[in-house]
Amino acid sequence: MTAPLLELDAVRIRHEGAARATPDGVSLAVRPGEVVLVLGPSGCGKSTLALALDGLVPHAVPAELGGTVSIAGLDSRDHPVGVLSAHVAMVFQDPDAQVVTGTLLDEVCFGPENQLVPVEEVLARGERALKLVGLWERRFDNPEQLSGGGRQRLAIACALAMEAPVLVLDEPTANLDPAGIDEVYAVLRELASTGHHAIVLVEHNLDAAVDLVDRVVVLDADGRLAFDGPAADVLRDHVDELLALGVWLPVSTLAALRLRAAGVALDPLPLTPSELGAALDARDELPAPRADALATTPNGTHDPAIRVRGLSVRRGGRRGPVVVHDVDLDVAAGEFLAIVGTNGAGKTSLLQAVAGVIPADSGSVDVLGLDPQRADARERSRRIGFVFQNPEHQFVAGTVEDELLVSLRLQGVPAAEQEAQVTSVLERFGLAGLRRQHPFLLSGGQKRRLSVGTALVAGAPVIALDEPTFGQDRERAAELLDMLHALHRQGTTVLIVTHDLQLVADYATRMAVMADGRVLGSGPTAEVLAGPMIEEAGLRHPPLARATRGLARHPEWHGVTRMSQLPASEGARA
Amino acid sequence: MTAAEAREAGEAPATERPQPVAGAGVETGSTPVTDPFAEPPAPNGRFLHALNPLAKLAAPLPAIVVLVVTRGLAIPTALLLLALAVLFVGARLRARTVVLLVVGLPPFVAVLGATLGVWVDPRSIEAGSPGASVVLIEVGGWQFTLAAYLIGLATALRISALLVLSLIAGLTTTGPDLVRALVQNLRVPYRVGYAALAALRFVPRFRHELEVIRSAQRVRGVDRGRGPVAAVRRTLAVSIPLLAGAIRHAERVALAMDARAFGAHPTRTERTLSRWRVRDTVFVVLFWAATAAVTWWGLAGR
Repeated sequence: MTAPLLELDAVRIRHEGAARATPDGVSLAVRPGEVVLVLGPSGCGKSTLALALDGLVPHAVPAELGGTVSIAGLDSRDHPVGVLSAHVAMVFQDPDAQVVTGTLLDEVCFGPENQLVPVEEVLARGERALKLVGLWERRFDNPEQLSGGGRQRLAIACALAMEAPVLVLDEPTANLDPAGIDEVYAVLRELASTGHHAIVLVEHNLDAAVDLVDRVVVLDADGRLAFDGPAADVLRDHVDELLALGVWLPVSTLAALRLRAAGVALDPLPLTPSELGAALDARDELPAPRADALATTPNGTHDPAIRVRGLSVRRGGRRGPVVVHDVDLDVAAGEFLAIVGTNGAGKTSLLQAVAGVIPADSGSVDVLGLDPQRADARERSRRIGFVFQNPEHQFVAGTVEDELLVSLRLQGVPAAEQEAQVTSVLERFGLAGLRRQHPFLLSGGQKRRLSVGTALVAGAPVIALDEPTFGQDRERAAELLDMLHALHRQGTTVLIVTHDLQLVADYATRMAVMADGRVLGSGPTAEVLAGPMIEEAGLRHPPLARATRGLARHPEWHGVTRMSQLPASEGARA
Repeated sequence: MTAAEAREAGEAPATERPQPVAGAGVETGSTPVTDPFAEPPAPNGRFLHALNPLAKLAAPLPAIVVLVVTRGLAIPTALLLLALAVLFVGARLRARTVVLLVVGLPPFVAVLGATLGVWVDPRSIEAGSPGASVVLIEVGGWQFTLAAYLIGLATALRISALLVLSLIAGLTTTGPDLVRALVQNLRVPYRVGYAALAALRFVPRFRHELEVIRSAQRVRGVDRGRGPVAAVRRTLAVSIPLLAGAIRHAERVALAMDARAFGAHPTRTERTLSRWRVRDTVFVVLFWAATAAVTWWGLAGR
């Protein structure tokens, strides 16, 4: 057996000011050519663990390291990151926060230059790395001109140029749209197939990663090592324990678990859409899928809440490029509408113009009888609440309570009633104990809930959210969508812009698909997902739809796109 | 100015930077290294682009000092023309810049001169000075004399000359070039130089973030209210999320740079050599001589 490239022995890391250590007592070894996936629920310390693999913990991050991290035989405590970086290269989550220089070529050369590699070798490495990720032709471009996926490929090239035998990627696709995720995984797949690098991947998007990895390491909520073994074995044999730990499983596996509860046991448990599809097709008989509960809700038949006619929007003033072209869109009261499209399709601009956040160039918008373009903030926020991607951007006060009071005062609510309304909103959004807390000191999920609360406190029956799940793990995303689902059931009309199509499939009643600033079409979610529009817009079907679309023997299953359509055991949640 | 220019240059490098021909050699002295990726030499006659950035910063320095201490119209005008001449001959300029300098600068100077002239204290104008008795505008008891306008005009010319002098380096130097020159020729620690370069990239990001925060807070309806108190409150409300975002971003960039061995060694490999050549010395000496001649002429002619 070859010597390990990385060897961790009882590693405990406690961040400065944190009460407990996460990870806590993790021992593992990474050998050449291995592709290791690190999983765990939010807050288990998997990203912290990644930072320890090249000495950033403890050298650059204020944290206390217990146990030993041995990198190519060197104790990470005794050697600076600069030395360790020759053995372990890193790729981080945010592609914007990894760019230092002005051209792609300068960027890939930055690392080797810092390592005092001779000029010819620097250039050779830069060329190899850029060619491998398919960016060599663009070497003189500014990194800003690349898409998110392109910039993340550049970050991978920069890591490759370090010529380290280990590559550590910390949530490399969390900030990317589906096209970007595919780009990054295409590169990673190629890297893995060459076997030159050991790859350690921290990732919550298991659907993208699962067919790539050899080995899965699972941490539990306390940061302890729960499982470590071959990917298929860990995921299949310990699936119930993983669920109990709060680890997010591939959609195909979750679907199979639901089917198992309904008496359709698939063995072995499928991990990818193609495995799920094959397993379903291998069965002679399948129970009929359940009726699409969301599509049949009479919610969507009420009066129109939003009517958009001929709307065009320019970015960057009167002479800026037109990003939304002549859009007509109707949203009925009580609908949950998801606007989907690739990056740059104009989704956010459309949503912002509908909510009156940015001016329209031409066309008309009507939200419950009001033109949000002309109305002032007071009138507008009584009809439609808007939630920005980053909740922090919308905070204007020093306490959670004041945050809500700002909105109530704007409405001129009498002081006597303010108190009761604040209390009711805080309770509704699970923030009752945090009244005096500074909004910036809340956790990510709490911030998000507060931002939705402030958008709705004025009594708006419509709420619009811009990419609310961007950069969050599946757990946080599901938590948010559950909250929106609850609001929707209470009668709130919900508009959301997103590129996470499985979430759309599971929650939205209707979808509008955008491409190049135009709405290609809209309709009930199941219909849109079953039709050709998703591909026309350059998107990919969500995992469950991908599994069921290609079924040869069960055509009645082709329209199954959401979990709730799968047959369920008696008494299971619809 | 350099910061803004570097950014501007960075935003559209594909159009500004022609693809170099493979094998185009970079000028080297002692160590013959062929860099197929080096930028091509500037077109003939556009010598400013081929000069060391430090030369372009050093050359206007005496002129800047002269402009700060001098009075009168002659010296600023002459230095302004000198700077413009160097710029037009030596720099590859965009059409927009040329138009701005040729068509835009004179009215800018005239208007700025009037604006500044209005604020000149009439008592500071000597009765005997030229134009003191020529009243251009009279409103009530207040007179705007030609002398006051000339004083304003002189200041406007000095400001314009400073501006154009700074464009000599600003329009012909990119941020990376300047950092390379500072690190290689002036022995500035590379950690400082490259950290500054990385920080430059923050600027457009923060500008965008500021825009988003402003519109996010407009939605909350907190942009209401006029007057200084509301303005201070608005600024505070915007600055907290901006700072929080900035610190987080800076920390991430720092981690990414550390992970790529930034600062691991006292020096780093330089792919593009920044050299101080004879032409740099010649340029600086000629520019200084011209500045001296202009100054001498301006003082003697008084």
